[in-house]
Amino acid sequence: MSMQLSEQLVRQVVEEVLAGLGREAPPASPGPSTAVPGMTLTEKGEAVKGTKADEVVIGIGPAFGATQNRTIVDIPHATVLREIIAGIEEEGLTARVIRVRHTSDVAFIAHTAAKLSGSGIGIGIQSRGTTVIHQKDLEPLSNLELFPQAPLLDAATYRAIGRNAARYAKGLSPDPVPTKNDQMARPKYQAKAAVLHIKETQHVTPGAKPVELAVSFS
Amino acid sequence: MKRSKRFEILAKRPVNQDGFVQEWPEVGLIAMNGPNDPKPSIKIEGGRVVELDGKPRAQFDMIDQFIADHAINLELAAEVMQRDSRELAKLIVDVNVPRSEIVKLTTAMTPAKICEVVGYMNVVEMMMALQKMRARKTPDIQCHVTSLTDNPVQIAAEAAEAAIRGFDEMETTVGVVRYAPFNALALLVGSQTGRGGVLTQCALEEATELRLGMRGFTSYAETISVYGTENVFIDGDDTPWSKAFLASAYASRGLKMRFTSGTGSEVQMGYAEGKSMLYLEARCIYITKGAGVQGLQNGSISCIGIPGAVPGGIRAVLAENLITTMLDLEVASGNDQTFSHSDIRRTARTMMQFLPGTDFIFSGYSAVPNYDNMFAGSNFDAEDYDDYLVLQRDLMVDGGLRPVREEDVVKVRNKAARALQAVFRGLDLPPITDEEVEAATYAHGSADMPKRNVVEDLKAAEEMMKRGITGLDIVKALAAGGFEDVAQNVLGMLRQRVSGDYLHTSSIIDATFTVRSAINDPNDYRGPGTGYRLSPERWEEISDIPTALRPADF
Amino acid sequence: MDERTIEQVVREVLRSLGPRAQVSPAPAGAGPAPTRGLDPQTDYPLATRRPELVKTPTGKSLADITLEKVKRGEITPQDLRITAETLYMQAQIAEKVGRPQFARNLRRAAELTKVPDERILEIYSALRPYRSTKAELLAIADELEQKYGAKMNAELVREAADVYERRGRLRSA
Repeated sequence: MSMQLSEQLVRQVVEEVLAGLGREAPPASPGPSTAVPGMTLTEKGEAVKGTKADEVVIGIGPAFGATQNRTIVDIPHATVLREIIAGIEEEGLTARVIRVRHTSDVAFIAHTAAKLSGSGIGIGIQSRGTTVIHQKDLEPLSNLELFPQAPLLDAATYRAIGRNAARYAKGLSPDPVPTKNDQMARPKYQAKAAVLHIKETQHVTPGAKPVELAVSFS
Repeated sequence: MKRSKRFEILAKRPVNQDGFVQEWPEVGLIAMNGPNDPKPSIKIEGGRVVELDGKPRAQFDMIDQFIADHAINLELAAEVMQRDSRELAKLIVDVNVPRSEIVKLTTAMTPAKICEVVGYMNVVEMMMALQKMRARKTPDIQCHVTSLTDNPVQIAAEAAEAAIRGFDEMETTVGVVRYAPFNALALLVGSQTGRGGVLTQCALEEATELRLGMRGFTSYAETISVYGTENVFIDGDDTPWSKAFLASAYASRGLKMRFTSGTGSEVQMGYAEGKSMLYLEARCIYITKGAGVQGLQNGSISCIGIPGAVPGGIRAVLAENLITTMLDLEVASGNDQTFSHSDIRRTARTMMQFLPGTDFIFSGYSAVPNYDNMFAGSNFDAEDYDDYLVLQRDLMVDGGLRPVREEDVVKVRNKAARALQAVFRGLDLPPITDEEVEAATYAHGSADMPKRNVVEDLKAAEEMMKRGITGLDIVKALAAGGFEDVAQNVLGMLRQRVSGDYLHTSSIIDATFTVRSAINDPNDYRGPGTGYRLSPERWEEISDIPTALRPADF
Repeated sequence: MDERTIEQVVREVLRSLGPRAQVSPAPAGAGPAPTRGLDPQTDYPLATRRPELVKTPTGKSLADITLEKVKRGEITPQDLRITAETLYMQAQIAEKVGRPQFARNLRRAAELTKVPDERILEIYSALRPYRSTKAELLAIADELEQKYGAKMNAELVREAADVYERRGRLRSA
């Protein structure tokens, strides 16, 4: 455990130094990485519980930015992640990204992220785009904010979700992100959503621990 | 290719906005009679099921075991399982064989057997069977009352209107979870302003929903979901045993409850194990039976887009309603989610339950315009009221609603908004202004309402729960605010939980606070001239729509 | 007010005397003696047909629950709860109309009337997947049986403990 931690710390320092030199962090030694248009995700080992109260952990589904690269309405996963991170950073907090592998259920992805988050606030995103803001002490199927209708989520909404998650992490009670509601999204998209979800679920590894990811946008 | 003008027009038709998909049986994207569905079988040794639908006990998953040990009436099982499924299907449709005889047979079948039996029926036969097999003689209807902005004043007014329109059960839910106590409170006050005896619930995470019930904010629960594969059940954060315990917890507080399930949920959640949607749904219905719950909401519910996208899917949805009644359970039969862009298609889908009648044809009908429906939209909404009334009148069918006069609706909405204003004042909650009352009185939806201070409301809702406010405090606040009649009605709902009469199958509560259920209003359909028939008074009510010309006036 | 205090004291004394002093959690099939002969055709709904049989946990009748008394503060949430006795009567009615599973649910509910709200919510939570070890579930079963006389519920929890173990749904200790 301590080995792993220190390794991670070293890597983090190296990355920061490299970033300071104005260069891209190399795809740090170990983990495999996945590249989709606009984004490369590199595994950095098992995700651990954060200690910093100013972080929000973003949990992504097993296929996100890997075997799938767009939401149900074709928003690139790179855009989704970039907007959420930007929203968190706008509030002066930091984002940490993990891949949840043992489930493809958005509530559990988000709850896993929240439990690993130093602030206790996590965001869960499925490949099709469905998103939840969660808090570690809530029941898994409860939530702070739920955005169940993926076809209605656009880049601006993802940014607002990141912003609100950060505000919860600061102990504020923000106005919830305005919920959109299109009653006809179901007949149009539900079957497609099911197919996308089945394809994500085929990448679930029972019992697998979440992994920490380095994100680089191109 | 040069395009045909006809095909260009057809491409623009609403039905072509709907999503359709080919069958994919390996992942369970098939409505019923799937190639991987198990063959019916049962082996009983020493009073214990040792094989169920081709699977030996050692290989049972959680759901197999729960069904085998709790859900099937074993005395007749061996005998019924040997009978020809097509002959059994004929008996179920036969008007000369009463429901009570059929139930003895159907409750002794396994899930695969019951799917095989209904698989022999076409939709007209299924409707015939449903007309006979629903538990309560009188059909009924439930509605959704929600608000895009979780506006409590609007919810109270909408509930009051829905009550005078004839809904006997009302369900709310939230946009923002922390608004739940206010939504439940507003629904309770509004419904009891419209008519004493209307049952209300607030769909939430399981434990939270029970807590609101214990406090007296709601009188029943429905969103207790069960699933047909073990993996999905676990993703739903429950097991058949935790759900069975929850069922008893509700009854121990004198609260009615039903489970919820529906075809397509397992595919939707990615773990259908290659079985057809109807077979997996049958397992859900057996779990409900085994847990000892009186009824079930099904009919695909929030997954309707999935059976709706595959061949024969809407027949499977009717079949699941039918199986629920064959297991002697109350059925709240769906029609509660947007299903199609096509008015033709969504109407045809609803006729499957509307024509035979069920315990709750809709579960529910959106009493608000669909943009306010926080269950993501219903198959029929407030803008379809007059169409629905005409359908009842055209076909001489009791769909549960009645024509209303505009002045009566305005009056009752105003009273409900004022009653809630009094309760908010009495419980020291953020004030409801006269401007809000006025807006709610005439509103069509949340767009017509002034904005509330959401942060302040959420804080007050949380504090209200922390203060330990209960249904009794609501009664007191209503009485103190001059709404004695509404206070009496809310107290009448609280009193129901002492006697437990409405725990029974298919219960509703009439305006005299008398429970009507499958026990004192049992379905005795035996063909033409029997079972539920419109009384002359009810037919007069349905016939008398305000837009009809009155020859005497000319 | 005084009357209720006395009543409460008496109930607590009775409770402290142990399960023998309480209404016995009747075995399946039987109900408490005075109500054994309920007829669903003539006695249901109890509130209108047999109101004299229905009492609140504090011994009040349905007719005692009036708005006037609520206003005077003479009705508490405890007066608006169902009793085990009433649930056993409803279970008997359910059996007589051929609904044995539903009746068993009502009998389990009768046992749970004695378990406090918060404890019920905790036990429910403990029964959810991956929440409890086998030992924890078995301890809950013992508690249900010994502290509350809830035999049927204890059996349900023990059954769950076995299945969860077999299917790998326990919390790893």
